[in-house]
Amino acid sequence: MTSPYATILAGLIRHRGVKGCLVVGETDGLLVDSTLQFGVNGQIFAALTASLFRKARRASQAAGLGDAAFVQLEAENGRVCAVGRGELVLVVVAEPRVNLGLVRVDMLKAVEALA
Amino acid sequence: MMGPDDIRVLSDALAADPGSLVFLQLGEALRRQGQLDLAWRVAMRGAERHPQRPDAHDLLARVAADRGDLDRARSAWESALALSPGHPAAQKGLGFLFFQQGLRADAERLLAAAQAADPADASLGAALAKIRAIGADPADADDAAQVRPMAPTPPRASVAIAPPSAQPRTTQAIAAPAPFAPAPADPRDVFAGVLPDETHAALFLDADGLVVAGRYKAADGRDVSADIGAQLSGVSDEASRAMRHLGLGAWTHLAVEAEQASVAMAPVGDGVVLVAAPRRVPLGFVRRMLDRAAERVKRWVESGT
Repeated sequence: MTSPYATILAGLIRHRGVKGCLVVGETDGLLVDSTLQFGVNGQIFAALTASLFRKARRASQAAGLGDAAFVQLEAENGRVCAVGRGELVLVVVAEPRVNLGLVRVDMLKAVEALA
Repeated sequence: MMGPDDIRVLSDALAADPGSLVFLQLGEALRRQGQLDLAWRVAMRGAERHPQRPDAHDLLARVAADRGDLDRARSAWESALALSPGHPAAQKGLGFLFFQQGLRADAERLLAAAQAADPADASLGAALAKIRAIGADPADADDAAQVRPMAPTPPRASVAIAPPSAQPRTTQAIAAPAPFAPAPADPRDVFAGVLPDETHAALFLDADGLVVAGRYKAADGRDVSADIGAQLSGVSDEASRAMRHLGLGAWTHLAVEAEQASVAMAPVGDGVVLVAAPRRVPLGFVRRMLDRAAERVKRWVESGT
């Protein structure tokens, strides 16, 4: 069975440097759907990125900055981007060399189709 | 003064109901007993939970003053007065702090307001008399150090810690943008020149989320550095945790685009530097400001200030 998010995920995974795309429940951190390259543990990414997004969203609200729309984290060996809508979070895991601007634009478009 | 049993009762009450206002009594009791680290934690958590309560910021300021963190004390008292302009304890605390820093006009204004609210407070009368006697002669600023011993009941915060500035300053002078100097007199000015205008903000936070340098002002002019720092530092903690488990190495940049602002953070030493800009500012520009702010902080830390 094809999930309703398959088209969204297929569009994002095509970007050079993207290693995985996930749709995750923000509250429970459970994986809803994903397209992953070999070696990416979807369950762990789902849990941790949902937690990070939730924390960013709450902190942003508590700090009076409003709701967090897009969260991007860079590390030595990769990048994680997350954008939320309703109870779902769309997550992209990528290599450092990824074109972040392009991925960001596509994620903001794709998130409209979530929920 | 409260004893250990009283403090235990208050601690238990706060543990049973972390959202209660018992933290005000507990924090003050700990402060008076000299348990400043504990008092600080209680006050910080209280201010985080009750950011709209001026007495929470007042408690934070008193504990900060006792810890010798006068910048933080000032920031917290300013927050208290922004929330409640006539808050007598904050007027008194900040008034004494200003006097110690040579800001006589501001000190007189605040202490006079505090005295109007509490005419029986002899410490206020004595301090005001001293300020007025000093007049406009900057050479007399050293006399400010005598204020605290004169006061039979010192302000609830013992702010007479730092020696007065040799050069009298005004709050306006402190707030004005100034070219960056390797060792700015006010840590809040560390990012001067890095940010394009006052709609942008930068903070340097320590590992506990406490503001070390920089400032963050809300649209209404309130200094919300402490609140923003405390809230957003938790995100960097979460980022560290996530990266550790995901095997992506140490995190180097974190950006949050929120409805009102874009915030970017980067680790610097044991702390975090944070830059905020209105949402209309492109994320790439925010990122470059962050890099510049991080460089500025590194130089500032290396300069030993």
